[in-house]
Amino acid sequence: MRKLKLLMLAVLLLSVQLLWAQTKTVTGKVTDAKDGTPITGVSVKVKGSNTGTFTANDGSYIINLPKGLNSLVFSTVGFEDQEIEVKGSTVNASLSPSVKNLNEVVVVGYGTQVKRDITSVIARVKGAEVQNMPVADLAQTLQGRAAGVFVEGQNGKIGEGIKIRIRGASSLNGSNEPLYVVDGVPLVGGVYGSASSDINFNDVESFDILKDASAAAIYGSRAANGVILITTKRGKAGKTKFTLNTQYGIQNPTHKRGFLDAAEYIELFREAAINTAKYHYNRAGNWRGYASEAAAITDMTTYIEGRFTRYSGYSDWRTLQTNTNWEDQAFNEDAKTGLIELSAQGGTDKNKFYVSGSYNDQDGILIANKFKRMSLRFNMDNQLTNWLKMGLNMSLNKTERKRLSADNAFSTPMQLVAMSPITPTRNLEGVLYNTPTTTYYNGLIDMEDAKNNANGYRNQGNIFFESRLAQGLSLRNELGLDMVNQNDERFWGSRTDGGTGIGGAAWAQWFRNTRWTTNNFLNYITTIKDKHKIDATVGMSFENRYDEYAYAEGENFADESIKTLAGASTITGGSSSQDKNNLVSYFARVNYNFNRKYLLSLNVRVDGDSRFGSNYKYGTFPSVSAGWIMSDENFLKNVQWLSFLKLRGSYGIVGNNSGVGFYSSAAQYGSVRYGSTGAGLGITNFANDDLRWEKVATTDIGFEIGLFNNRVSAEFSWYNKQTTDMLLAVPTPSPSGTTSVFGNIGEMENKGIEFTLNTTNVSGKNFKWTTSINVAKNKNKMLKLDGEQKEILPSDARYANAVIIGQPIGIFYGVKFAGADPANGDPLFYEQDGKTTTNVYDDAGKFIIGDPNPDWIGGINNTVTWKGIELNFLFQGVFGNQVQDGAGGFMSASADWFDNQTRDQLKRWKNPGDITNVPQARLNRFGDFDSPAISTRYVYDATYVRLKTLTLAYNVPQKIASKAKLSNARIYVSGVNLLTFTDYPGWDPEVNTDYRSGNVNQGSDFYAAPQIKSIVVGLTIGL
Amino acid sequence: MKKISIFIAIAGAISLSGCDKKLNLKNPQAIDAADAFSTSDKVKKVLVANYAALGAGALFGGNVLWMSELMASGGDLNWVGTFPEPRQIWSKTILVSNSNVAGTYSQAYRVIFNANNIIANAGVVVAADKPKVIAEAKFQRALVYFELIKFYGEKPYFAGSAATLKGVPLITAPGPSAPQDGYYKLPRATVEAVYQQIIADLIAAETDLPAKNGFYANKASASLALARVYLQQDKFVEARDAANRCITTATANGFSLVTTYAGAFNNSANTTEDLFAMQVTDQAGTNSCFTFFSTDTYGARDGDIEVTDAHYNKYSATDVRRTLFFLEAGAWRCGKWRDIYKNVKVMRLAEAYLTRAECNQRLGTIIGATPDADVNRTRSRAGLLPLVGVTLQQILDERELELAFEGQGIWDAKRLRLTVDGKPWNDDKMTFPIPLRERNVDPNLDQNPGY
Repeated sequence: MRKLKLLMLAVLLLSVQLLWAQTKTVTGKVTDAKDGTPITGVSVKVKGSNTGTFTANDGSYIINLPKGLNSLVFSTVGFEDQEIEVKGSTVNASLSPSVKNLNEVVVVGYGTQVKRDITSVIARVKGAEVQNMPVADLAQTLQGRAAGVFVEGQNGKIGEGIKIRIRGASSLNGSNEPLYVVDGVPLVGGVYGSASSDINFNDVESFDILKDASAAAIYGSRAANGVILITTKRGKAGKTKFTLNTQYGIQNPTHKRGFLDAAEYIELFREAAINTAKYHYNRAGNWRGYASEAAAITDMTTYIEGRFTRYSGYSDWRTLQTNTNWEDQAFNEDAKTGLIELSAQGGTDKNKFYVSGSYNDQDGILIANKFKRMSLRFNMDNQLTNWLKMGLNMSLNKTERKRLSADNAFSTPMQLVAMSPITPTRNLEGVLYNTPTTTYYNGLIDMEDAKNNANGYRNQGNIFFESRLAQGLSLRNELGLDMVNQNDERFWGSRTDGGTGIGGAAWAQWFRNTRWTTNNFLNYITTIKDKHKIDATVGMSFENRYDEYAYAEGENFADESIKTLAGASTITGGSSSQDKNNLVSYFARVNYNFNRKYLLSLNVRVDGDSRFGSNYKYGTFPSVSAGWIMSDENFLKNVQWLSFLKLRGSYGIVGNNSGVGFYSSAAQYGSVRYGSTGAGLGITNFANDDLRWEKVATTDIGFEIGLFNNRVSAEFSWYNKQTTDMLLAVPTPSPSGTTSVFGNIGEMENKGIEFTLNTTNVSGKNFKWTTSINVAKNKNKMLKLDGEQKEILPSDARYANAVIIGQPIGIFYGVKFAGADPANGDPLFYEQDGKTTTNVYDDAGKFIIGDPNPDWIGGINNTVTWKGIELNFLFQGVFGNQVQDGAGGFMSASADWFDNQTRDQLKRWKNPGDITNVPQARLNRFGDFDSPAISTRYVYDATYVRLKTLTLAYNVPQKIASKAKLSNARIYVSGVNLLTFTDYPGWDPEVNTDYRSGNVNQGSDFYAAPQIKSIVVGLTIGL
Repeated sequence: MKKISIFIAIAGAISLSGCDKKLNLKNPQAIDAADAFSTSDKVKKVLVANYAALGAGALFGGNVLWMSELMASGGDLNWVGTFPEPRQIWSKTILVSNSNVAGTYSQAYRVIFNANNIIANAGVVVAADKPKVIAEAKFQRALVYFELIKFYGEKPYFAGSAATLKGVPLITAPGPSAPQDGYYKLPRATVEAVYQQIIADLIAAETDLPAKNGFYANKASASLALARVYLQQDKFVEARDAANRCITTATANGFSLVTTYAGAFNNSANTTEDLFAMQVTDQAGTNSCFTFFSTDTYGARDGDIEVTDAHYNKYSATDVRRTLFFLEAGAWRCGKWRDIYKNVKVMRLAEAYLTRAECNQRLGTIIGATPDADVNRTRSRAGLLPLVGVTLQQILDERELELAFEGQGIWDAKRLRLTVDGKPWNDDKMTFPIPLRERNVDPNLDQNPGY
């Protein structure tokens, strides 16, 4: 109605003006610069007058230009204003989505707010910005786009293991991942892959990332790691618009590191063998009793040549007949990726819809690694009566994954690099070689004879009713269901290392995780005496989560072409379980705005969670924030260059319930088997009536500033997050029956700053260039463990992650390597004094030797448009962190064992006086010396800067498009991870090997695949 | 108004429908601790589970056996594996942080915790079964207290005044349900007090246990356990009588030595000779002796424990027990622990004969049988000629060979006051330290001398 009225008013004004003024009629169309779609309801004003109109459903407008005026200003919420000089009688405007528009509506928990009035810290990434990025998981699309949001892929396996840390890690034993909420329904985690990879992000309208306590507190006991609110696209009234979107491309690893070739391998290992003989005879006491050094050398030479013969299969190593590049064997050559998608949206003022169907098929860069996602979405809005609105969001997704073993398994493709280059992959009959011809189990056999399929089905939907009860008072009732089904079918043939000796093995697991939720809340907005604006929300929510699981396993297959459990002659195990969790919550928020300048916001949520101990069933999470729009004060009003200045601060307490298991507070007995017939009941959990959420108290102070008519805008935040009541396994005396119970006793801190800068560098008629920069620094520090304990030191020979009070979580603590002894090539290590060196690893001192947590993270995004051509590129960087290569002791180990070596090992010490960091090559046949363990020899700086995305698009001019009966057409070439700048010598600095990744175990490489580099071409057509 | 009533109806229905009930969810995979002791049947199931706890790797699932043997190595076996913790035990250079040392201590108290709960809740057990249930729980409790006092007691029973030597914390009834309660910061009881508790429990168990009880504790096993305790105290009369009661009860109820020596080992079901063994199947139970004594050929590790030629040569060429050793990866391996998924022998009848023989010989009595007759039972099975007029040393030698690597090594060495690897039987390092982690959480726990 309002629009209609405005339209009528405009018509009226227009006709009046027609009578009195000498005018000129201008027509045109307003479109979205991003994809060329028409924009409805854009205000079109004649600069210097009160004349104005709005665009119609197809984006068109007609306006009369009073004499002497020749500029039109186009503006609408969510887009940059644009001023165009009128030259002819047609003026088409192409509006760019705005990132700084102060009137932009931001999604907050249980409502929306205008950005200008927000006193909390919310980063918004528009769906349009990440549209069509050729990645599997929406979490990846956020990398580098929002300040303080750290995104890291564990490795280059597709659709797996993405870590997001918003303002650092706040927990040691709980999850540090943010809460995802899709259209009001929290996303349930699956078991395989990340939940966020189930969502087709091309359906996403916006990501609103709630960072401080004030923004997140409305999510109470799950808000400690921030909240990502995902809002999907909704229909707009108007002619139905179809969009067809296709994409096709190739994927490759970002980097291959390279290993020794056959000639180098033979040279290095022969040398290592001779060195071993000399070492054994002269320095290890010659306990094998060689008659002379020469005899030892002869024996070692025979030994090494025997190995060469064994490893070279049918071929002759002496003539270098075989020179296999095993690293290449791990990768697909030009893996394919493709996407096809059709969506339609439209409707009337009363009924609006958005539907989409998408099929995304991606081959991983590693052999036998695949990801497919099929998704459907239906969103609907319906104005039932003048007071009641109804809506629906429904999505149905299937993800098909062909997965790979964890990075520490011989069967994972990347471990093929350990094989000798003199080993052929297959024998003369074409059969894959295995041990003893291959150095280790040949993982290629898994690619032929094993199956590792995980399919996931996610059905997410919610319906809502919104009732206008009275002036300013509305009620919203939401009912949501998120259901994920996953089944994991695995098979290992009898040739594989998982199926050998037992006639093949198979395993079927089935999971169903369901969450149903209801949110019911009242919202009241009123303005008193034009000065006091109050926006209050009060409500409750209830969530029920139900996880079901069943599995069976079997072995002894009659025929290996039957790869399901149906083929197993012996069923060797099975189990099932069901778990429930309830969350009852009450929440309230009051936003108060005085005179549009002084802002105050109060939030509180009370969460009752079935998992908490009986003494702490309900947690209360309050927050307060305030803002002052200084630029509206008289003393700043006349400062022309300052368009906007807001100071803001917040304090609040949010919780993390994830460390507490569903039933971990009560003492329980579970089933115990004894012998062939004994069925027993044994204690499985000890009581802790005080078990509860972790608390994170966050203080945030910042400002937002706009300069030169908001052409430059910036935001700055300083925060201090203090975790208390952190869950730790509290040791107890054994006579209690157990050695530890989880207790809320630890403390941790994160302090940091965030800065975002948006600039419109050039804003010409045809040429436009905008830049968005974000940088953030976070400093994590452990403050308290169980009160007595000062540290949890590493106990692994390959990794150095520790928890030490006063240091960041997962800091590297270990031995400092001092290079090769110039005199004899021994590896040297620093003793505790930091100066003296020793060649005995166990005598070395222990130091802080690295930090897996980055000092700084950031991104620079640039968009340049020239007429229909658009170039967007995002550089993303991570600075000041280190990565430890756990596999260094195998593959960069001075030929310690027969694993093929990285190329840097060629720089080994050879002669007295050589100065090098690679000790003498010695094969550890007799155990005469320590094999290399973790030290700074394998700790590397992992700072990197990466061209994260690059998109070059061409929007076909409207004239041409409409000739083809299209409303718009866009052709683009897009790339991900095209360039990486780093000193990290491994495959890729963005790494945390999957088999051990955790809160503490960070920054580890272990045969982890490099990240995926993609190049795609795409076509988007609108009808 | 209609609208408002809709709201109230919806919101009210949801928020008032018993939130507190919704917040008290039970684990479908478990029952409440209180419920576990609510019926006779359930208490019996807790008892069954405590056998599984007793058979955990850290206790009779193997560790207490091989730890005793590693400590007693004396040139008979070598630890060549990479794990540093067993190596420390073997070389008697144990660190207070040794995880095997800590693991056994903790698991022992888990068994005691369970036994205490069973005994305290035995009131609900049907009258006919109540004495048996209590007896089994006391048997379990006594068995682990005995391991605790031997491994962690300040000194062996006879190394000083048992009334002042420090033993281990004694807890014989359930404490508060919260494990972090200060109640559990117990001091060490004396060696004497712990021995008295063990003997009291075993006497009660021997009285009420049935002579036959499947693979669970039986009367004869309680008798043999008592004999072991008395031997550690040099109480030969009591040891002899307990061994004799063991043999009498056992043989009257179908127990006997199996025909061949090899047949007594690598069994997945108890043999007639097994008075008590921990059950191991492919789905439940642990046998860590297999893990460390056997080799990868049989599905174990790489052969972490080697038997030396010196030990091998202790058997005469005609002794069939020698043939049980097998050569793998360049060294002799103990064949008693060769195969996967086999029971862990805790008490064999053969031991009772040798104990009775030793005590009769020492005391100059012939209770039950002559020492000659008892010793020649195992000797003849081993294919050896019978001995006439055996000496104490001959009985001890026979005991060493018959029971080799079955967990009695260090205890026999200590009670016989032997020197092992240059360390006298009462050396500080011949005792485990109180685990570091225990002393970190219990300031009332004193450390053993030498640590």
